[in-house]
Amino acid sequence: MSTNGCGHAIEYIYNYLDEEITWTRRMRVRWHLRSCDHCCDAYEFETQLKAVVRSKGHDEPPPELVNRLRTLIEEQRGQQQPEN
Amino acid sequence: MADQADFERDAMQFAPQLYSAALRMTRNPADAEDVVQETYLKAYRAYGTFEAGTNLKAWLYRILTNTYINKYRKQQRRPSEVELGELQDLYLFKRLGEPSGSSMSAEETVLDEIVDVDVKQALESLPEHFRMPVLLADVEGFSYKEIAEILDIPIGTVMSRLHRGRKALQKKLWNLAEERGLTGQTQ
Repeated sequence: MSTNGCGHAIEYIYNYLDEEITWTRRMRVRWHLRSCDHCCDAYEFETQLKAVVRSKGHDEPPPELVNRLRTLIEEQRGQQQPEN
Repeated sequence: MADQADFERDAMQFAPQLYSAALRMTRNPADAEDVVQETYLKAYRAYGTFEAGTNLKAWLYRILTNTYINKYRKQQRRPSEVELGELQDLYLFKRLGEPSGSSMSAEETVLDEIVDVDVKQALESLPEHFRMPVLLADVEGFSYKEIAEILDIPIGTVMSRLHRGRKALQKKLWNLAEERGLTGQTQ
């Protein structure tokens, strides 16, 4: 296992995965990952975990929500009319 | 400037996402709907000040977040910066890598077995300061810059809270996995 560059790779793991990283750092991480299985596994795991959180963190709204919002806005519009 | 008459056409598509985010914030469907309704009313009234062509989704999330904070933060007079304690980097990955005696990789088992309820429970367990950036980045897919604007905090603060929040999220997921016997480790 290569330890050279592990610290840097782990420090910037989220910036890398979020694509919020400078080009130089991205290249340095990418270079390190080519030679370090441990960091590669870690990156793979974090990528998958991020996808899991993304796909499972949502809820469906109640089916009437949008209609209730439309009604609310209609009412608001009605109240504003006399001023116009 | 945006035209109020276009509000429904432009903004209504985001209602399901805003509701889902509101539910993670309030942890309660009735409160979530209240927050979304108030958000849409405020957004409609203020739509004349929204600059057409800029980021409407982020603008709505900003109103949502402020509405939630104004409505509910008063209730919890706890110090705003809740200490999460020091957590190691790659928390879940490292815990799962500990020797378990199980033949199948614990990382794969846990990733396959994490269910919706776990993710929601873990997100909702985070202290608010950390929950918001994690929710906005990982569930809603906003960039650091957008999150900074939505929460009205510097980008550096977004990054540090996101970093710590994710570690805390992983710790919670580990605890939940352990409770369900997914880690292959005896408790």
